[in-house]
Amino acid sequence: MNRDGLKGRLPYLVVAGWGVLNGVLLAVLGIYGESSLVFWLWGGVVVLLELAALAVLASSRSGPDQQVRYRLPYRGAAAVPPAAFGCALVALAFVYGLWLLALAVPLLAVAIAMALHGTAAEED
Amino acid sequence: MTVAPPEDKEATGGRPVAPSGWLGWATSTDHKRIGLLTVATSLVLLLLMGVLALLMRGQLAQPDEHFLDPLTYNQVFTIHGSGMIYMVMTPFAIGMGVYLVPLQIGAPGIAAPRLTLLGYWLYVLGAVMMLSGFATPNGAHADGWFSYPPMADKEHSPSIGSDLWIGGVMLATTGVIIMGWAVLWTVLRRRARGMTMLRLPVFCWSMIATCLMVIGAFPALLAALTLLAVGRADASVFASNVWNIGYQHLFWFYGHPVVYVMFFPFLAAVAEVLAVFSGRRFFGYKGTALSLLVFAAISMSVWGHHMFATGQATNDYYSLTSIALLVPAGVEYFGMVGTVLGGRLRFPVPMLFALAFIPQFLIGGLTGIMIGTPVIDYHVTDSYFIVAHLHYVLFAGSAFGLFAAVYYWFPKVTGVMLGERLGRLHFWLLVIGTNLTFLPMFALGYLGMPRRVATYATFDGFAWLNLLASIGAGVLALAMTAFTVNVLWTLRKAALGRCRPAGDNPWDAYTLEWATTSPPPRLNFAPGRPVPPVTSFAPLLDLRQREGGTPAAKEASGS
Amino acid sequence: MVQRHVFGSVFALESAIAGFVFLVVLALLGHALLRRRAARGTPVTGQPERPTLEKYYVGVLTAFAVFLVAWTAWQNHREHRPPRSTPVTVDVTGFQWCWKFSYPQSPVKRSVTGTCRGRDLPTLVVPAGRPVRLRLTAKDVIHSLWIPDLRYKMDAFPDHVNTFTLTLDHEGRWRGRCAEFCGERHYAMDFWIKAVPPDEYDRFLHGQPLAGAAA
Repeated sequence: MNRDGLKGRLPYLVVAGWGVLNGVLLAVLGIYGESSLVFWLWGGVVVLLELAALAVLASSRSGPDQQVRYRLPYRGAAAVPPAAFGCALVALAFVYGLWLLALAVPLLAVAIAMALHGTAAEED
Repeated sequence: MTVAPPEDKEATGGRPVAPSGWLGWATSTDHKRIGLLTVATSLVLLLLMGVLALLMRGQLAQPDEHFLDPLTYNQVFTIHGSGMIYMVMTPFAIGMGVYLVPLQIGAPGIAAPRLTLLGYWLYVLGAVMMLSGFATPNGAHADGWFSYPPMADKEHSPSIGSDLWIGGVMLATTGVIIMGWAVLWTVLRRRARGMTMLRLPVFCWSMIATCLMVIGAFPALLAALTLLAVGRADASVFASNVWNIGYQHLFWFYGHPVVYVMFFPFLAAVAEVLAVFSGRRFFGYKGTALSLLVFAAISMSVWGHHMFATGQATNDYYSLTSIALLVPAGVEYFGMVGTVLGGRLRFPVPMLFALAFIPQFLIGGLTGIMIGTPVIDYHVTDSYFIVAHLHYVLFAGSAFGLFAAVYYWFPKVTGVMLGERLGRLHFWLLVIGTNLTFLPMFALGYLGMPRRVATYATFDGFAWLNLLASIGAGVLALAMTAFTVNVLWTLRKAALGRCRPAGDNPWDAYTLEWATTSPPPRLNFAPGRPVPPVTSFAPLLDLRQREGGTPAAKEASGS
Repeated sequence: MVQRHVFGSVFALESAIAGFVFLVVLALLGHALLRRRAARGTPVTGQPERPTLEKYYVGVLTAFAVFLVAWTAWQNHREHRPPRSTPVTVDVTGFQWCWKFSYPQSPVKRSVTGTCRGRDLPTLVVPAGRPVRLRLTAKDVIHSLWIPDLRYKMDAFPDHVNTFTLTLDHEGRWRGRCAEFCGERHYAMDFWIKAVPPDEYDRFLHGQPLAGAAA
């Protein structure tokens, strides 16, 4: 669908270009100097952004730039609240003790089971 | 373009059977419901954080007050700051994107709706966890929203409220990151036919810039909080300066971009409102879209200006990038002021908020350049000057954009208009209260009042300026009461069926969300009302101009 | 008091520019509010964009940003130039919740501290007219030494020493504060900085009380 190549690639170019701009600013910081932690941190972020750009590129190549047909779940996702509560219990386990994992793990297992079987959404 | 709905849905006219009641909302994969939940949750928390602000202003109204003891005061300002940033402005900004972006690009839904819903739930549970600190024996977290170690380590902050704060903020931020990815992917890869990137509304461009910052910068907060959690478990970590200053880098690498996450969507809401009520398309569209991206990229490089006084940052670089921000910011103002200069202005409530945004945010922006200058920042950092600056940016600026957005999109979301008279009362009280509260703080900081002080002495000479600020806070409370009454009353009337329907496009707006019903159907555009042809970033304006008709001509084709 | 002078000139210039920009925007906005009301029957005018004008505008903004960056960086360096004469050294330690000032050059290892409760504020005694190098550190959490009248502050970290030099041109007494949030009594962590004549400073280093006031 990328009839006019550049425009069809714009989503990719926006993300990739934004990552490159970050890289340029990071390079300027390299001239000024800063603690090494910062270069690991920001350098890692630039890599992450370029990976995101690659994901966008892969998606753009496998489908049209603009959509006509959409795949959408239209039923609720009943697995989500238990999954979120499970995550919250994991966080609380770090506060009140790891015994809370005994509650969190089963809850997350239930959420996964629900996601796999219980509420499979009908899709177009 | 039409969405081909599943066969069994044809019978319900494009509206799938959704579970009704609270369970339907709690498990909804409808981006509108998730967005609305996010926005409504953050508005409720906004009121709560406002109450905390009133407590602070009550304590500071007079010198040597004993209304709140220092330990309580520290909890209150910590949760006010954390709440406003992590739990109100950021989620509201992203929640707006969750609701509006699919509509504005003509899509029937958001990418990854289940994950988006998970993001919302993580946010809510995170907020609850953070606030539950108040219910623990030693109270809530009390180390500021930045929570520098070693202050925030176990030795100096032993209370369990601190652990709950870390867990809560981590959950909420994870949720926001997930929502940010979903919105970004939606706008990049779920656009309807005709909606090229260069026809995206300004709001969608702002969400691209915003979500890029979310995915790029927010993980640094998770890293910082992980470091903090490790340091609370192992005291030796923060005995070393490397990790103390390292935490500050990690934190501010998130902590500055988040300011723009809390700003761009509101700026863009203001831009949409200005364009619609100026009766013309937004002036300088391409420059604005490009400048938003540049703005966002530079904002990733300025975090060290929060560390000018640490003596351990490359001040020259951060000053360079901070001052460079004036270029893209100037382009935004070029667009906003240019739009109204050639316009034909109408003044409904959203426009009032949008117009007030322009000079008020400017005060925040101009003082931002000043404190991006190290020699000025050495004096005013960690003083009330910064409190004034940040509230001009986030309250006089972003919050005014937020209210412009609420009044503007309320009819689309609910199908009814918010009350006009209460809205105007809200606006004027808010303008008076905002400036009365925050303008004196510039002087207070200049004169030497540090931030985060639980009280001050009589001979400091800060008394009357603080009293003014506290009176202003009282006016803000009245303004927010007017707003709350307006929303609740309107919703009540609507529930009783006593409101006149707002219609599909009550403001004669330009973007695609106004081409569908109010509120939009489950899949946003019903087969009978497909997405109109997208010919520019203001497709409905094109349609009207092609038809050569008055706004009424388009309304006829509406309902 | 080079910090105060540099701050004064930069703050004055930036305030003036900010005020000017604010007034320009306000004037443009006011013009639109008065002249562009729909109620007056104003039609929509103007192009959807003005790329040439915008380019010049961006050029002007960029030029101004370059000037501001260069000039303020120069001012920052001017402020941090090494002093002409050898400075006296004072070791400053912040702790929860007060300060300790030690004088390594004092023959009796003079050191001053206090409780920062009520009127018991420690006084940092320095010679007037001579550069003073403060070596800042902290015992427990991060603090920040702020002298509002000097228009300068610097953070005090544990496990790290920050250094800055100040010169107080004339005798006098100024209030100092802690600017970095440091817990329960952060609000009370004040101190005095007192500039005394050099000979009195020497007597102070030898352990004698200051004339007129308790140190």
